[in-house]
Amino acid sequence: MAKPKVALYWCASCGGCEEAVVDLAEDILKVVEAVDIIFWPVAMDFKKADVEGMADGEIAVSFINGAIRTEEQGEMVKLLRRKSGLVVAFGSCAHLGGIPGLANFWNRETIFERVYKGVPTMDNPEGVLPQTRTAVAGKELTIPEFWDTVHTLDQVIPVDYYLPGCAPPPDLIMNAITAILEGKLPEKGAVLAPDKSLCDTCPLADSKPEKLSLKEVKRPYEVILDPEKCFLAQGVICLGPATRSGCGERCINACMPCRGCFGPTKGARDQGARSLSFVASLLGIEEEEKMTDEEVEKLIDQIPDPAGLFYMYSLPSSLLRRRIMK
Amino acid sequence: MREEAKVVVFCCNWSVYPGLQLSHSAAPTGAKGLVDPIVTMCSGRVSPELILEAFSQGAWGVLVAGCPPEECEHNGNYKARRRVLLLQNLLAQMGIEPQRVRFESFSTGESAKLGQTIRGFVEEMRGLGPIE
Repeated sequence: MAKPKVALYWCASCGGCEEAVVDLAEDILKVVEAVDIIFWPVAMDFKKADVEGMADGEIAVSFINGAIRTEEQGEMVKLLRRKSGLVVAFGSCAHLGGIPGLANFWNRETIFERVYKGVPTMDNPEGVLPQTRTAVAGKELTIPEFWDTVHTLDQVIPVDYYLPGCAPPPDLIMNAITAILEGKLPEKGAVLAPDKSLCDTCPLADSKPEKLSLKEVKRPYEVILDPEKCFLAQGVICLGPATRSGCGERCINACMPCRGCFGPTKGARDQGARSLSFVASLLGIEEEEKMTDEEVEKLIDQIPDPAGLFYMYSLPSSLLRRRIMK
Repeated sequence: MREEAKVVVFCCNWSVYPGLQLSHSAAPTGAKGLVDPIVTMCSGRVSPELILEAFSQGAWGVLVAGCPPEECEHNGNYKARRRVLLLQNLLAQMGIEPQRVRFESFSTGESAKLGQTIRGFVEEMRGLGPIE
């Protein structure tokens, strides 16, 4: 019997998701034994035409990482969708928009102005900006259009499953591949990770006090964190309560508070709003009855960048999706 | 005809809602017809997610009405106050006027103040118009 065909593709991403596949280490041998990788631009020499030449649905599963922010990415994922039985959004950027999604605080014009004119290292006296069409020596060169807004994969094509994380850890990748090969997948649309919050599985959970109260907000660089004690109890914001578990607590174990790359827990619509909600609940809770409006405002203002913090990985998937540019 | 301001009012069942019903019957100060309030069991139950949902569905402004300090049985009013303040900072970063969300407190008897506040808020949102 022919082995199931698998495609791997990247869009607006850093390459860490590709690295995550390599991080399967010896397990990758089991994967290539069981499947045929027919498209993986970062590692193997296949072209778009190879995919175009396939029958619709011929690819068993496409793992697509990265957010979608250019015309080319949009075109490629639509092609892969047509040719694939299953599409898995692989990693935070495809799932939620990820770090590239923070560009939704800007738009094409402001990004181009900054990158091609504003940065101190740029030497561009004529102020040339990328154009989709340029005439060169009697010919026309084209490049894909750069969009104003970064999208999650499921805002561009239907997605069957989500593998969360920046990047997804090897155990979850192997679980997903095994589930696909054995036909033991959960209902469509599922996130292939546990349904618990990170706080539930956190190794520091026992040190979390019964009643948490943040008297002041400290940023990680301002304190030397005790690696054995709940970071929230140390006054540093950790998004564990509003983030899905399954990451292996990699950041926590490295003494870094959670920044939410696994996305919201099941049922939550907007990870940032959920995070904002619990953080505002904990702020100054002990003294709340005595505090004046001005004092509360001062406390709240200790979070200088709430949108950037609470939507660090999920701005394009949020209810508002992007900043409104005026 | 001018489009009517789409304003959502979340009001606490225990302090605000009885007053709102009174304000409906008092025509000169009333907020009747301006808003269709959503009654919650406590202002502390109004999640920021719900407020953003209202905006994403086209609300021009969201007013969260709860109990004054020391009058909430659950201290939910303090939570609501902090959440709305933090949400205002976040909205400003998203290019949305922070005054589109507001927390106000009312005692049971303050139906006149309530009607006045809602009318004032609706007027302010008319000035701002819809988002985008």
